[in-house]
Amino acid sequence: VKSELLEKFREVNNTFPQTQEIQEYKKQQRKVIGWLCTYVPEEIIHAAGALPVRITGYNHEVELEDGTAYMYINNCSFSRSCLQLGLRGEYDFLDGIAGGSTCDGARRLFDLWRYYLKPSFYHVLTVPRKTHERAHQLYHSQIAEFKNHLEASLGVTITDKALLNSIQLYNESRSLLQELYELRKLDEPLITGAETMEVMNASFRMSKELFNKYLREFIQELKTSGQGQKCRARLMLSGSVMTNTEFIKSIEDLQVLVVTDELCNSTRYWSDPVILDGKSPLQAISDRYLDNFPCARMYPSDERFNRIVSLARDFKVDGIISQIIRYCVSYAHDVPLISDRLKREEIPILFLDVEYGTSGTGQIRTRVQAFLEMIEAKKK
Amino acid sequence: MTVADNKKSRVGSIARACKIVKRMSPNANKSELCYYDLLTTYYTRLQEAEQNGKFIAAHTVFFPVEILYAMDLVPLHTESTMMISTLFLGNQSDYLAAGSELKLAPEICSAHRSLAGAYALGALPRPDVMLWSNLICDNSAKSGELLSQLNHCPRFFLEHPFGDSPEEEKYLIAELEDLISFLEEQSGHKMNWDRLSEYIANMNQEIALFLEVQELRKAVPSPFYNRGYLEFLAADYLFPGQPEAINYLQIVRDELADLVKQGKGAVQPEKFRIMSLFVPPLYLIGSLDKIFQENGAVSVTEPFFNYWPEFKLDPAKPLESIAKKFMFTPERRMMYGPLGDTTINELIKCAKDYKVDGAVYYAYIGCRQTCATIKLFKDVLNKIDVPVLTLDIDLIDPTVNTQSEIQQKLEQFFELLQDR
Repeated sequence: VKSELLEKFREVNNTFPQTQEIQEYKKQQRKVIGWLCTYVPEEIIHAAGALPVRITGYNHEVELEDGTAYMYINNCSFSRSCLQLGLRGEYDFLDGIAGGSTCDGARRLFDLWRYYLKPSFYHVLTVPRKTHERAHQLYHSQIAEFKNHLEASLGVTITDKALLNSIQLYNESRSLLQELYELRKLDEPLITGAETMEVMNASFRMSKELFNKYLREFIQELKTSGQGQKCRARLMLSGSVMTNTEFIKSIEDLQVLVVTDELCNSTRYWSDPVILDGKSPLQAISDRYLDNFPCARMYPSDERFNRIVSLARDFKVDGIISQIIRYCVSYAHDVPLISDRLKREEIPILFLDVEYGTSGTGQIRTRVQAFLEMIEAKKK
Repeated sequence: MTVADNKKSRVGSIARACKIVKRMSPNANKSELCYYDLLTTYYTRLQEAEQNGKFIAAHTVFFPVEILYAMDLVPLHTESTMMISTLFLGNQSDYLAAGSELKLAPEICSAHRSLAGAYALGALPRPDVMLWSNLICDNSAKSGELLSQLNHCPRFFLEHPFGDSPEEEKYLIAELEDLISFLEEQSGHKMNWDRLSEYIANMNQEIALFLEVQELRKAVPSPFYNRGYLEFLAADYLFPGQPEAINYLQIVRDELADLVKQGKGAVQPEKFRIMSLFVPPLYLIGSLDKIFQENGAVSVTEPFFNYWPEFKLDPAKPLESIAKKFMFTPERRMMYGPLGDTTINELIKCAKDYKVDGAVYYAYIGCRQTCATIKLFKDVLNKIDVPVLTLDIDLIDPTVNTQSEIQQKLEQFFELLQDR
């Protein structure tokens, strides 16, 4: 797709964390809060008048000397990459950070960030792994505490009205992303996986106000002038956090299309809206974040597996590529279970061990090529 | 995915091995002989349970085993069994290979990989229920589903909150109530609340003994032999609130008190007082003992495991007490919850209280949360002039390190301490 709007998204990603919009926010003395995991409710930060941005690592594979020195080699390269950017001052503009007790890497990243980078505001949420009524009550109290802490720290009051506005804005964003993904369901999708990833990356690196504006126009552009793309096979991407568009491009260079995904920076980020349904805004936010398309950390795993199967059917995928960052243990533990489940569903899956930021080496391409041949042989 | 249909698991071999090692150790301390008896009792009981069809509850580390005992269920501590099997049978390679066949990646904790492998091979008794929790890492939290699927048995995941607010404590208590209901339903055994209260009262005695032993180990020279601190963990891991644990702890306490009175240390002469961070490679435990002994080094404290604060449990409120015990467990304080200034100050206090000369950080490749604090704890300890040696290891996989490599690094470290 050739589009000026896509270039704008690309520009945000290429300059992040030092984007023009963030610099303007800072010039206006406005607060920017970094969040470390999708279980941190952005709406609350937004309703406090601050800009929430997701802390991510380098967009490409780099040597992680500092990240490894501070976090050790056996923590995932995503955490080490984020920490290294922080240690090198790339996130110095942040007025605070918020994390969750979601996985060992995320919670230790929070601990080290707090100790070495000394943010003026820091908050970690207990995020239950279960989703029963009691877990909802606990998570709701955690969200309320987070709101109170943020109010006290930023010297603001987060009103229900402000929360409702934020919910509306974020739901609009989710709805637009849903619309974008619908274009990938077509027999000849109007956008590639790599291009979609470009949009997704920008979605948590810029204000939702600006993002929604761009995305609305971009979808319109695709609908009116986009051209469908033929492919050998339709694939789904699953597994750990992954933001390098080059990785997807290297797969798509094999004349396939990644048509959907199950990543925390893509489908799992936007898939479920906040549903008010007579609830208080805080309750609705809390429910949404705990019941959202689950990360592998959640229990039981069946809900995640069911959603993966459902996505695979909806997007008519021929196979799934699961890319798991080394030491992303929550996903690694699920490999035998999901293999078993997908075998029963007759959905082929290829498991790749990767590092965060990898762009798709020759070995990965060879393995994907072999996987495609297997899929094609099965089709015949 | 199923367990091989072996009628006999290998727990009987562990019990036999413990008896043999005891027979071959005529000069061992009374406490060490008692430790072998503890293990023999534990694994003989499991073997008998398997033979007689008693209800076996397999559970991961840091589980409220007091509840299982109070319900007359037979516990099987999964990770400890893998460690003990490594120590006494040395058969971990087969289990690790079987774990790999299940598609478990090498970066997953080797204790959990070998555990799944051991179940797949039928080397462990088939449990009637699989119980697990998220203490203290993602490996624990994620291991139970596969294990229950392998064994085709019902399962229960006990969720520990991250913090220690009153809401979170209530959450844990409610989780414990759910666990009991689940166990009653599955086993047909009713909870014996009087017995549970009795075990909680015993826990108070255990905690008092932990504190006494901790205090005795501050003596110069320090009296506890090097591998003693690992054996010490068996009391609370396998027999919490049980008379066997109290008996063992009393023997340790009396033995150490006697040595302190005589001014005798575990190593003579005591040159280096070491803080051990995390666990050394278990398959090299004998060699490490020798290296420490020959260099006059002794592990005087292990803050991740043996650094209990003073607290009291209330037998009239057993579930609240179990929740409270978890909040104070050293492993949870040092390795799990948010790492704040309290933890860091405790580490500093520990180093000072025990007058440590240096620390050895066992960087276990399968343990992310403890390795993530290597640099931080090193910085903290260096500030109070305590050098830290980091050793890359695996707990049970012998292919990661050689004895000579570890010996060389330790001896260099002891030289450095000597030069200071």
